[in-house]
Amino acid sequence: MPELQGHLSLRAALDARGRSVLAAQSFRAPYHLSKPYWDADAQTLLAQVVNPTAGILEGDRLESTIAVDPDAALLVTTPSASRVFRMKSGAAESRQQFSVAANGWLEVMPEPLVPHRGCSYRQATRIEVAPGGALFFADLLMAGRIAHGEAWEWRRLCLETEVRLGSELILRERFDPAGAELRALAELSGSGPSACFANVVLIATPGENDAPWLEAVAKLHGDGLWLGLSTLRRGGWSIKLVGVDSMRLRDGLRALRRLASARFPKLAYNPRKL
Amino acid sequence: MTEAKSAPVDAAWLVGLLQAGDSFYPTGSYAHSFGLEALVRENVVCDRETLRRFIFLSTLPALRHVELPLAAHAWRALAAPDWTRIGEICRLSSALKTAREARQAAENIGRQRAELIANLRGDEVAQEFLRRAEAEQWPHSPAVSAALEGRAFGAPLPAVMAGIAYATISALLAAAMKLLRLGQNASQSLLTEALAAAAGLMASAEQMRFEDIGWFNPWLDIAAARHETAEARMFIS
Repeated sequence: MPELQGHLSLRAALDARGRSVLAAQSFRAPYHLSKPYWDADAQTLLAQVVNPTAGILEGDRLESTIAVDPDAALLVTTPSASRVFRMKSGAAESRQQFSVAANGWLEVMPEPLVPHRGCSYRQATRIEVAPGGALFFADLLMAGRIAHGEAWEWRRLCLETEVRLGSELILRERFDPAGAELRALAELSGSGPSACFANVVLIATPGENDAPWLEAVAKLHGDGLWLGLSTLRRGGWSIKLVGVDSMRLRDGLRALRRLASARFPKLAYNPRKL
Repeated sequence: MTEAKSAPVDAAWLVGLLQAGDSFYPTGSYAHSFGLEALVRENVVCDRETLRRFIFLSTLPALRHVELPLAAHAWRALAAPDWTRIGEICRLSSALKTAREARQAAENIGRQRAELIANLRGDEVAQEFLRRAEAEQWPHSPAVSAALEGRAFGAPLPAVMAGIAYATISALLAAAMKLLRLGQNASQSLLTEALAAAAGLMASAEQMRFEDIGWFNPWLDIAAARHETAEARMFIS
């Protein structure tokens, strides 16, 4: 199987009718882009990024750049999980760069990453949001091919996320645990052998009416779902979820989007996935 | 004769580190459980064994991947000093903490330690650091303050890192004694075991690249976030 140097570049902007459109796009395998869909109710453009290959393989180098211009709104998602396959000795890497201009909205909510036994994968995400811009970024991780009894068996898994508001670094996370370490933490915390994770970053200017949705979201914790929400240094929130399994995680994420949509109406957009 | 004369001078940094690491030193850390109280409420940590697992699965990795390498980079940057780098380290230290109370606890403790070293010792580098931190709005960092202390005392980097490991683990155990049925002997045996393990982490932490710094425990971050709205609580964080 040849190594792929994947490339995806999207830029959303407003057209003359005031609708968000893809003003620029280019992509190369394994990326493919479905026809974008404009949702008039949510005033948001949906872009589905498809990987027509089996998944991420040894040696793959993936680069994606997604930009949202002022006043435009874009939801980027994927139709299926991203499998990271076993690698003999090499590794794969994905670099993602997202930027949002003032008054722009970007939601990035791909299907989960599923690291297979023996894979080695690094994902580096850099996000820049201009003051006044807003973003909802959800990064989902499964423990592995749980139905096959294969979990926490990656050789290396490194997920990095860095968020800047204006030019100021407000969040940096580096998740580089050995599978055995994470398995032990899941066991200690009672989330069990099928625990699944969602790391959500919501960037928006805090408002006076935040208390109701924040309190409602905090109450989602329990019954097999861990959920914690806290304010970042400035300009937004970190929301972490751990579900005992993928269904519980999806339930939690769906409820989170629904409750937060009271404050951020574009989250009411139903991509018919969760 | 020469050895007898040089001993007090050589030991001066040790005295400084002992003072800075003592529970008598007013850093404010006694008011924090660093997420432990919330994990006790969630029944994740409920006895000595679960506390031990938490220390080895979470506290020590966080030291290895975050606080110790931050301190190592700060200690080296303070040699010149390279204030641009120090500012970057302060911002990174804050950005790595997603739970507000954990971040504020770190910033308060870091500020207090920096002010203590500037005021008690009249240390010029610490005073300059405080001026720049205020002017450039750097968030305070316990790791940077520990490096400031080390430079002020003339302590070598391994000693500074050992001091951080001791302060971190002992503060956690002090909180644990208030939250759990945990006696002093049990705490000391855990402290001894954890410090022995921490010593083995320092070499890799010292060599860690700046861009590789970072680690988190999702359950601890969630528990720390939930602590912010807990109806009853003993600790600030």
